[in-house]
Amino acid sequence: MALTRREFLYALPAGASLVACATTTRDAARATTYRESVTGNTASKEGTVLVCMPDTSQTRQVWTGLSDDLGKHYRLVALHADARESGAAIAEGMRRHRPSGIVLMNNPTVAAYRALQKSSPQTVFPPAVIVMTSFLDGHSQHLLAATGISYEVPLITVVTNLRKLIVGPIERVGVVLRPALSGFVQRQAALARREQITVFEEQVDPRPNASDLKRALRKLKQHVDALWILNDDRMLTPQLIMEGWIPGLNERPWSPAIVGAASLVSPGQSFGTFAVLPDHTALGSQAANLLFDIADNGWVLPQDSVIQPPLSTTTTVDLVQAKERFELRADALQKVDRVLE
Amino acid sequence: MSTEAQKLLVFLHVAVKQRAFQGELQSALPGIDVTAVGRIGDFDRSLQDHPDAVLTLPLVLAARGIGATLHGRRQGAQDEVYALVGADSMPDPAKIQSVGALDLLGRDGTDSFVNRVLGARPKVERVTKVEDLLPLLQMQRVDAILLAARFVTELKKASRLSLFQRDLATKVELPAAATLSAGGPQILGALSRLPAQLSAAMGVDEWR
Repeated sequence: MALTRREFLYALPAGASLVACATTTRDAARATTYRESVTGNTASKEGTVLVCMPDTSQTRQVWTGLSDDLGKHYRLVALHADARESGAAIAEGMRRHRPSGIVLMNNPTVAAYRALQKSSPQTVFPPAVIVMTSFLDGHSQHLLAATGISYEVPLITVVTNLRKLIVGPIERVGVVLRPALSGFVQRQAALARREQITVFEEQVDPRPNASDLKRALRKLKQHVDALWILNDDRMLTPQLIMEGWIPGLNERPWSPAIVGAASLVSPGQSFGTFAVLPDHTALGSQAANLLFDIADNGWVLPQDSVIQPPLSTTTTVDLVQAKERFELRADALQKVDRVLE
Repeated sequence: MSTEAQKLLVFLHVAVKQRAFQGELQSALPGIDVTAVGRIGDFDRSLQDHPDAVLTLPLVLAARGIGATLHGRRQGAQDEVYALVGADSMPDPAKIQSVGALDLLGRDGTDSFVNRVLGARPKVERVTKVEDLLPLLQMQRVDAILLAARFVTELKKASRLSLFQRDLATKVELPAAATLSAGGPQILGALSRLPAQLSAAMGVDEWR
């Protein structure tokens, strides 16, 4: 990679008590930019962890959780992974640092790494931990030596949180879904049964329209205590939200609607009653624990390694909707991270 | 000339959100700038802001070389019972392979703490919030969880799992406060007069 300019910056990034060294390298020939920041225990002989991450507020929170835990033991390299240049950047990061372990944040980064693995069949890749990737269960099967934490908050966790907020038995949960997600919902339902939660499914067409959606909602709302709205892009198009979800949810009988994206909870919109999302800093800590397990195993992925669900969540409530339609527990607001009114 | 408010840094795990806990402390301590954190990493970073006093567990103070001045007590005792809680059967500290615990001191420090309290060395899964212990049992990630016994009632309210509680012989010191600057004693004076309900949220009924 030809160098045209190199800059050194000294900063104190979140999660590190040591001075970090940041490097930006531009390859004029390929019009790509390589950006990294080295921090943690830079003198460590225990290993280097390469963290491949786009720059967003959520990834920075994950980085805080990771680096707080790992920084004392390992040298950490935060590698900026822009969707277009991720593959080249990861390859360069691996060449420079020979990491003992890798963390991959988000779908495009994982896709780039997968392509890199496919293009280099003779290369021995270090174990990887994947976070912030949708429906990870399927993805990890296509990567060598990878494990991770799924990004979808388990239904059992979602309902446990809702029960702390709203009076009344929350035992029957309805979900409208495309057939492609039936397997995912069935696995969630099996786990949720441990907390006496029963899931009722209404499947719609793989390419549903607003009428299908409203019909499914009307049917479910007759006999469920809450609705769980999946983070399925094809079910959450602007048109389906405006013409299907919002009218359907705002008809009586009302059911609390649990969503998985903060943007879907808004007093002005009256869509989600309650959002439950992964706590990104805690996600970083959970990923750090996975890396410790891998390191304890000689930097080899343990044989019993499985994709973990996220343990820790943050919750947001549309207080206007919740107060208007449901009965809140006396201490409900002390159990919620964000209250919107 | 304006006087800067004195600063209190709090690192305690409580049954409510840190946001709510900080708000209640702030209301009860007018004139004092309160920061409540739930992660040891955030505590260490906030110490660099030079608070006038800190409130946390004595074992955290000791790990940072800080001596406690004001001790929390409950029913006259300076320490409290911890419990091992399992789902579906009574957990045995000598037999469990894995335990969930609140992260008090990072990986090594928390492992040592757990080993001391249990008298055994299972694998420790650390979480940063009290409410994150239940998912470890729900998803069968651990054989049991370790927590202050006063949190178990809340745990049982939040879950329909069949939970079994074993109280442990080794007790853990209740929260304590330390002064870090000349402004500290005034903060500790205010802490000793906290409303009973707020102190109870920390497991304390008296400060001395």
